[in-house]
Amino acid sequence: MACPIGLAPSLTAHLSPPGMGGIISTMPLRQRGLAKLLLVLSIGTSLACGRTPAQRGSIQLVDDAGDTLRLTAPARRVVSLIPAATELLFAIGADSAVVGRTSYCDYPAAAKAVPDLGDGIKPSIEAIVARRPDLVVLYNSGQNAAVAGRLRELGVPEIRLNTDALSDVGRVAELLGRVTGHQRAADSVTAVFDTALAAATRPARGTRPKVLLLVWEQPPMTIGRGSFLSELVERAGGENLFADVTASSGVVSIEAVAARNPDLIFTTTEGPSSFASRPEWQVVPAVREHRFLRVSGSEFNRPSPRAPAAIRQLAARLAGVDR
Amino acid sequence: MSAGRAVVLAAAVIVCVLLGLSAGAVPIPLREVWAGLWHADAGAAVIVRDLRAPRVVLAFLVGGSLGVCGAALQAMIRNPLAEPYLLGLSSGAGLGAVIAIASRAGGPWAVPIAAFLGALAAVALVYRLSLVSGRRLDPHVLLLSGVVVGSFAGALMSAIMVLSDAPGVRNAFLWLLGGFGAASWRALAVFTVYASIPLLVLLYHARSLDLIALGDEPAHHLGAEVDRVRRVVYLSTALLTAASVATCGIIGFVGLVVPHTVRILFRPLHRSLLPLVFLVGGCFLVLADVVARTAVRPLELPVGVITALIGVPLFALLLRRTLT
Repeated sequence: MACPIGLAPSLTAHLSPPGMGGIISTMPLRQRGLAKLLLVLSIGTSLACGRTPAQRGSIQLVDDAGDTLRLTAPARRVVSLIPAATELLFAIGADSAVVGRTSYCDYPAAAKAVPDLGDGIKPSIEAIVARRPDLVVLYNSGQNAAVAGRLRELGVPEIRLNTDALSDVGRVAELLGRVTGHQRAADSVTAVFDTALAAATRPARGTRPKVLLLVWEQPPMTIGRGSFLSELVERAGGENLFADVTASSGVVSIEAVAARNPDLIFTTTEGPSSFASRPEWQVVPAVREHRFLRVSGSEFNRPSPRAPAAIRQLAARLAGVDR
Repeated sequence: MSAGRAVVLAAAVIVCVLLGLSAGAVPIPLREVWAGLWHADAGAAVIVRDLRAPRVVLAFLVGGSLGVCGAALQAMIRNPLAEPYLLGLSSGAGLGAVIAIASRAGGPWAVPIAAFLGALAAVALVYRLSLVSGRRLDPHVLLLSGVVVGSFAGALMSAIMVLSDAPGVRNAFLWLLGGFGAASWRALAVFTVYASIPLLVLLYHARSLDLIALGDEPAHHLGAEVDRVRRVVYLSTALLTAASVATCGIIGFVGLVVPHTVRILFRPLHRSLLPLVFLVGGCFLVLADVVARTAVRPLELPVGVITALIGVPLFALLLRRTLT
């Protein structure tokens, strides 16, 4: 039975412990590589300005995998392998520094002009190195830990980031601002985002429409509390039908859906398409009555500065729900 | 089989079915289950009638079918490790499902139908490869063909999963891991009509299987048409398993362990082994499905995970008790 090979890698990406990088980071080879790099860089900068990096105020930060990144100067050639990070780099005006992206980095449109290095999970190290980056931004998942270790061995600085929730937008914007030297722009992006988010958020009062977040149909999969889409719906004045699910996503039964009786079923264009015509779904009144909330657009895929606009769009649809 | 045993088995079937109707994401007391079954306006009617009843019956039929397939294959190949998915079927079905998802095939039945066609293609290939000198189906060649065809389909499936950019192609594995969440009266009706034919064919050949289990030579001398029985049994089990994969994904372990358990407990001939395995397999899968939908409410676990988690320790206990 060949079935369990690579069981749902998209799920395991979320489930893998992020600590794998710790093992690799203790490897002496990597340290040697990094030391060599620091040496080369410090010689370079001391020759250039006659000062040591420490005096110049080198950049130092701890990434979401717990590794420390040290840069002697702002990154000028960034390979960004997270769509949310690419979007933020463009937002803070670091667009000219982006020299590599994932196939999914589709916003803003100008990002598509940057060379495409694949899907971002377990990326090709050769393709990354060929872009001669001075910083690689990776998604913080277990599958990327080995890539991060290998990059450090090769002397290529990398950071791994979580970009899963609305609270990550400002945090990651600030972080990217620091490493690229666009701190002021990052501050203003964050301030504008926080204000817009607060303005778009509906107060949680009274009975709210219950929304089933259906992300896959066979088997029916939904999104749990605290995940990005769940946050959007809650802030738009709706209620996640499965807010009691703490996992980021999970398979639910149609029976549980029927018993909880959603007012609206949320789907994306990449997700469920034909479940509504299957007989077993007809027990759910929202399916019979075609109460669907179908969205398209990458602002619903990832936390970004566009999230407040996404919330307003959802709120307009939720306000029209007849309860 | 004694009358006492028959009563015990019948009681077990009834208890399992009632439990299956009562337990779930929303627990429903038996009294309400009863009301829901017979009165359309009862509170629990929608869940009990339209969702749970077809689900429980389907789980029973699939469990029984997988058990019978495993028992027949073990006798026919004379190998205790034989099970319904051994012969390349699961990978063929998986390949079909992945192709359907990757090519964004529309329609509510695209994935199950593609899985069914994939399984049939694998069966046809394995069958053709195993026919030695025209008409003989050699069990050893059959096993090897099954394994290589399975590997080949598995490799194609992995390649498509890596290369496809279709959203959700990785979720194909979740579908394949099995479950009865998509059960409906329509799916049940289709499966029942289809499955009854290979099931009856297998029951009809039970005596020949008893003979083949003795060895080809004695079976031949006792009047069994060994080659013909092998072909018929293989094709029947393959068609039955393909339908069950299309209906509810790959549910391992039932076809392997239920026949052995029944053999250890009852030591019957195949004439009574096959019906017994059908009942025990049905009960086992209904119970496993109950656990799958109640263990982490409101989420569901793949039922194949449960069959292994419950089945393996039970079977290990049984084996030790028999050996000592």
